[in-house]
Amino acid sequence: MRILTLATTLFFAFVTADAARAHAFLDHAEPRVGSKVTTAPTEVALFFSQNLEGAFSSIEVSDANGARVDQGKAKISASTMRVGVKPLPPGTYKVRWQVLSKDTHATEGNFSFTVGP
Amino acid sequence: MSRPLLHSIALAGIITVTCTSHALAHCFVGARFLPATLATDDPCVADELSLPTVAWSKTGDFPPASELDISGEISKRITENFGVSIGQNWTSIRQADGTLTQGFSNFETTFQYQVLKDREHELAILAGLIVDWGRTGSTGSGLATNYSLVTPTLYFGKGFGDLPSDFSWFRAFAVTGQVGYQIPTTSFDFTQNAFVPQQLVYGASLQYSMPYLKSEIVDLGLPDFINHLIPIVEMSLTTPVANNFGNPYTTTGTVNPGVIWVGSYFQIGLEAMIPINRDSGTGVGVLGQLHLYLDDMFPSTIGQPLFGGTSSTRKLTF
Repeated sequence: MRILTLATTLFFAFVTADAARAHAFLDHAEPRVGSKVTTAPTEVALFFSQNLEGAFSSIEVSDANGARVDQGKAKISASTMRVGVKPLPPGTYKVRWQVLSKDTHATEGNFSFTVGP
Repeated sequence: MSRPLLHSIALAGIITVTCTSHALAHCFVGARFLPATLATDDPCVADELSLPTVAWSKTGDFPPASELDISGEISKRITENFGVSIGQNWTSIRQADGTLTQGFSNFETTFQYQVLKDREHELAILAGLIVDWGRTGSTGSGLATNYSLVTPTLYFGKGFGDLPSDFSWFRAFAVTGQVGYQIPTTSFDFTQNAFVPQQLVYGASLQYSMPYLKSEIVDLGLPDFINHLIPIVEMSLTTPVANNFGNPYTTTGTVNPGVIWVGSYFQIGLEAMIPINRDSGTGVGVLGQLHLYLDDMFPSTIGQPLFGGTSSTRKLTF
């Protein structure tokens, strides 16, 4: 039972010692991951579980042909990353992102959303 | 030593091999996160602590004995791609007549090298060498051996996120697995008066990642707790393949359905242990684990490789 006691002690010690840093997971996005929206969005916003390091975080939005439809550099504030997009005709769009959390852990991902009636 | 106790100790050895030799990697491959699995190992080196792993089961004896295993293991990256794990297991076996046997298994170390991480295809391959050091446990109780065990092992993991989008929800599946060849440092155990077999130690997991489903495929708006779950089925098996004179070449092991909850700093796993045959146990056992991500808890100190700097500040590609 000493191991259990030690584990409990270590667990709470670790969590309370440095509980502001971790890999940044995508919490949610607007437009929502995998969704179909009837009104074309003017921007794509990603909301992460940790604060981001702006210099090393980026987002790319492309259409079904692989052509970029985002308006360039993302705006990053705390744990949110946004990028404007050009007027989007109906179709499926792919969002690729890479971020660096404040503690220098890198994560990446991609998803699609559809614009259509 | 009684035959039931010998049987129990043999099964304790199997559980030790399958539960405590499995390292604890915080395993990202591209967009895929492969959690630390409980009965098998995941295919990454990392800085992590698994404490405790607790297993309860009933042995295949007649009548069955009740067995409790409590283990801990810490993994540390020496360089970006090379890591070492050390682990220890404590076992308690209570026979039906009340006889109690308790003690430590042999001390275990695992050396692992990251052979491949293919981010685009969510593929990871790891080579390892597991060493159970003889005479480092409770040899007097029979729970540890006088000889060592050396097990070269190959691990792999593959996520299915690279499948075409037509596969939709199926892309959240991933598999991991390992195959090892266990070689004892002696061919005959004079204390047990028995040959010591060379064994194939292998296992696999099939897992469905709700975090991956939410962030990569479709956000269904499910409760946050559900979005942190990874339902999983593990299988952990051992088959004698050589130097097993006079004994059956019976495969033993368990199939473990369960679930892992993944947080930012730790994960909690719980699985049922279903023996694949009578030699593997009686009834359904339970396996649980608390697993801590040291690289996230202490990103600037012990969460870094000892040499070679950080892996996390890699150059981003766009």
